[in-house]
Amino acid sequence: MADLIGQLQSLAATARDAVAGAADERAIEELRVRFLGKKGELSAVLRGMGALAAEERPRVGEVANRVRDEVEALLAAARARLEDRKLEAELSGPPIDVTLPGRRLLPRGHRHPLTRAADEITAIFSRLGYEVASGPEIELDWYNFEALNIPADHPARDMQDTFYVEEGTLGPGARRGSVLLRTHTSPVQIRTMKRLGRPPVRVICPGRVYRSDYDQTHSPMFHQVEGLCVDEGITFADLKGTLAAFARAYFGPATRTRFRPSYFPFTEPSAEVDVSCSICGGSGQKSGGRCGTCKGTGWLEVLGAGLVHPRVLENGGIDPTRSTGFAFGMGVERLAMLKYGIDDLRLFFENDLRFLEQF
Amino acid sequence: MRISLKWLAEYVDLPAPEELARRLTAVGLEVEGIERTGQGLEGVVAARVLSSERHPNAEKLSVATVDRGEGAPLQIVCGAKNYAVGDVVPLAQVGAVLPGGQRIEKAKLRGVESSGMLCSARELGLDADAAGLLLLPREVAPGTPVAAALGLDDVLFEVNVTPNRPDALSHVGIAREVAAILGTRVRMPAPRLAEQGPAAAERVRVRIEAPDRCARYAARVVEGVRIGPSPAWLARRLEACGVRSISNAVDATNYVLLELGHPLHAFDLDKVAGAEIVVRTARPGERITTLDGKDRALEPDDLLIADRDRGSALAGVMGGGDSEISAGTTRVLLESAWFAPGGIRRTSRRHGLRSEASYRFERGADPGVVIPALDRCAALIAELGGGTVRTGVVDAHPRPHRPAEVRLRWSRPEAMLGMPVDRDEARARLAGLGFEERDAGAGGASYVVPSWRVDVSIEEDLVEEIVRARGYDAIPETLPPIAAATPAEPADAVVVARTRVALEGAGFSEAVNFSFVSEPDLAPLRYPVAGIALKNPISADLAVMRTSLVPSLLRNAARNRAQRVEDLRLYELARVYHPAPEGHEGDEPSVEAMHVAGVLLGRRLPLGWSAAGDAVDFYDAKAAVTAVLEALGLRGAGWTAGGEPWMHPRHSARVAAASGEPLGAAGEIHPRVAQAFELPRGVMAFELSLGALMRHGRWVPSHRPVPRLPAVLRDLAVVVDEAVEAGSVLAAVRAEPLVEEVVLFDVYRGAPLPPGRKNLAMALRYRAADRTLTDAEADAAHAAIVGRLRADPRIRAELRA
Repeated sequence: MADLIGQLQSLAATARDAVAGAADERAIEELRVRFLGKKGELSAVLRGMGALAAEERPRVGEVANRVRDEVEALLAAARARLEDRKLEAELSGPPIDVTLPGRRLLPRGHRHPLTRAADEITAIFSRLGYEVASGPEIELDWYNFEALNIPADHPARDMQDTFYVEEGTLGPGARRGSVLLRTHTSPVQIRTMKRLGRPPVRVICPGRVYRSDYDQTHSPMFHQVEGLCVDEGITFADLKGTLAAFARAYFGPATRTRFRPSYFPFTEPSAEVDVSCSICGGSGQKSGGRCGTCKGTGWLEVLGAGLVHPRVLENGGIDPTRSTGFAFGMGVERLAMLKYGIDDLRLFFENDLRFLEQF
Repeated sequence: MRISLKWLAEYVDLPAPEELARRLTAVGLEVEGIERTGQGLEGVVAARVLSSERHPNAEKLSVATVDRGEGAPLQIVCGAKNYAVGDVVPLAQVGAVLPGGQRIEKAKLRGVESSGMLCSARELGLDADAAGLLLLPREVAPGTPVAAALGLDDVLFEVNVTPNRPDALSHVGIAREVAAILGTRVRMPAPRLAEQGPAAAERVRVRIEAPDRCARYAARVVEGVRIGPSPAWLARRLEACGVRSISNAVDATNYVLLELGHPLHAFDLDKVAGAEIVVRTARPGERITTLDGKDRALEPDDLLIADRDRGSALAGVMGGGDSEISAGTTRVLLESAWFAPGGIRRTSRRHGLRSEASYRFERGADPGVVIPALDRCAALIAELGGGTVRTGVVDAHPRPHRPAEVRLRWSRPEAMLGMPVDRDEARARLAGLGFEERDAGAGGASYVVPSWRVDVSIEEDLVEEIVRARGYDAIPETLPPIAAATPAEPADAVVVARTRVALEGAGFSEAVNFSFVSEPDLAPLRYPVAGIALKNPISADLAVMRTSLVPSLLRNAARNRAQRVEDLRLYELARVYHPAPEGHEGDEPSVEAMHVAGVLLGRRLPLGWSAAGDAVDFYDAKAAVTAVLEALGLRGAGWTAGGEPWMHPRHSARVAAASGEPLGAAGEIHPRVAQAFELPRGVMAFELSLGALMRHGRWVPSHRPVPRLPAVLRDLAVVVDEAVEAGSVLAAVRAEPLVEEVVLFDVYRGAPLPPGRKNLAMALRYRAADRTLTDAEADAAHAAIVGRLRADPRIRAELRA
């Protein structure tokens, strides 16, 4: 028995020295196998236990357990020591190249500036209680012209060069009559009034419109936002207040508005609405010279508006002796150009990624 | 409309031009441009030639002395020969800068001192004539600025007259507005008409066969006229307003047009067959050659001024060649008529013929000025051409003008404008504009509309007249009462917004393209339906309404590639347009459907050290579609091989909702289509119907409990034939109720697998909703799946070790 105990103690002493000298993970693993493995030294010693008397075995077993624990602890400590050293080496070693560019993700796409502008305009009017309405772009003459007080032989039709649709291509279910691409979003006024049937009406209608005109400053397709507010007791003062509020929200709180008499067949009285120039702040001067955006006038023409003509209310099925209303329309391209400093209308429809990416 | 302020000042006193422009603009007659003529002629004055001698040292030069109205006569060396002593010529004084940029200085020419320069018309920038000095009328006083001497010291306004205000298309018309603004009166031109000899009615008869088209036709006869050029003052006035001077008689009609706004026409009476004017519509097959030399086939709706035999003018639009005033004309028949606007416009449009006359008649001429304009013009022709105005007017007047009367309630202006309006101010304003008050009472008054104000017919029009004078600035700013109910955001807006966010998150930038494309752009798409075509497209490139958004995006892709932008993801969200099918409901003329489409090409990830630089493929397009479906909460969509006809038949698929309703398609652009759009292979695209997405999306999330019980994870790898779709394998796996999720994480082809086989590696997560799953249960489920995959005749999977 004493022999076995002596062997165990000598095993422990050998292990202590061996582990202290282990230089790496592999050496530690080899030592574990050598001392604690199935065919290791500890097992070899313990095989001698069979020769012992029954009362001696617990004693030897106890020593053997102690030795195993010790060797295991030695190995664990050696591993920890090694790890520490390794970590220490890494933490004080050479740094990674932090100047290498960050990993490239798929970049977010960009929303078209016309959508941005139209969304912003719509959102401003939503806060004023307006609902979004829409109507067809391929439209009946009646909605686009007749119902808006522009009869067939009316010279106001010259204000808008119209695209007409080849009726033979409209399909077997098409209604008879003159069909065109809407020249403005105003037909949505009529459709909305007819749909709602009675006041209050408060809608904002963004959309594509078409006119047969194509040069540097005209696009055959462009975007408008139409607004309509009909109720009892609506006045021109309400129109002014609404558009002034809009102008301040869109162009900034210092923006001023100016209403000038004008003519639209579907409003009476009618007005052109100018806002103080968002570039020069209305001074007409920019960096010592004339402001190019407002041509030195300090004003930008951005809106057409007026009180809804009584005949238009009637055509929408609303009694003009009881209700009044105002309507307004604006060009999204113009508002986007002013807001983002875009100077060429054609950029909107070229869809050059280098342009789109700026928004 | 161009307005000469010099001319305008004959009828009304004017403020300074800038002030006038501001005030006209403020009442709705927008002054769009101000041009000052005679600029650049400062320092050039009229000078009388006192003497002229040959230059002592130069044969081609002479030395003149001139009187310039002040100081001692000046000595000038001059090269021209076309003047005589006593002539008045332009003298550019020392210090003047001529329009060509030449600065005049004191100089010695061949040894003789010259204190200025005598100028030709060309040197003054007035004319190309460089033949000699510009000779001014001899009565011009020396020292008069040459701009004034030539009547060039004018200010011209370009006034934008809206279509409702034909009354403002003349100098007198603008003068009326100015007088109303300033509270003064218009000085109307008073013709000195001296009638002589036989009655005009003995010379010509007038008959109106279409009284609904021509309410009045009045004529005068001027005889003994000598046709010749107009005097300079008249020609200048016409030219200032953009009208070319032709001859005295024709110019007289144009002058009155610009002065009073009423179009007149002059005929050679000797060429009027039967000395008879008939106002009638055209006969079937009738033709006329208009003044512009075009032979025109007429419609029965065209109104003619005819003589006994044939038409001699398109009424109110343009004269005809036959009866025109010519150099030999001596007897002038002058027409002043009132034509109904609609008919004039139809004829003008039908023949693509617009004239100063048609422009005014189609907007509405002033019935009250028919006779004054006729008198004015007859007197002018007699004055300019030395003729005699025959006695009386031949006046056919089947439809006398009845002035409109409009009622104004005193309460109405305030109710419309939202501010108090002083009653007396309103009345004074209307009176100033020529509205005559009738039956004024406590509640309101009626107003007789002046004959020239064709735009005023209802009470609102009167309110506009009142507010126009005050200016809109006086109206306060208020807001209408806020709406009582706030509507929920409509579903289509939600779908649009979420689709945009999803695609932008997937790297797509938004494009906006025209709704019309060219027929050849749609053709390669091989759509079953033809697009709706425009009758009058701008060009063949913009002729057909899109049935798909893809061709425009392919054009965008090609354009970007031409700019060396080769990695591209673009989407567009817009309508497509389809013909109305049989039984189409509603009153929309066609079927417009919102679509979203995208193209993607180039690298999957931007070029970088960490990205492999792989090109996009079908699965990137599918991922974009999936991103949209997920954003809309659209679950259970199924993909089937084979997309649109314009896609690669083997690299594309259609996607449909669980119900089977098609949502759209995604895939590689067909190689032939790519070729047609000058694009390389490997361009991916998708197109979805927003309407279908809206019907199947569930974007309001519905909460399910988060699992609390542990899951068991197992991997599974099976080898199947290439033709076996991953989807059928995944579906078979999902059929096991305990499978909570399966992710296909690898697809492997190649050694050691035989050709035509592929290995699909999947990560499975098993979970039971009501108990902790044991390993034994998971093993059993796993074994069941393997068994199913092996047994399924469409899969015939082999298990891979």
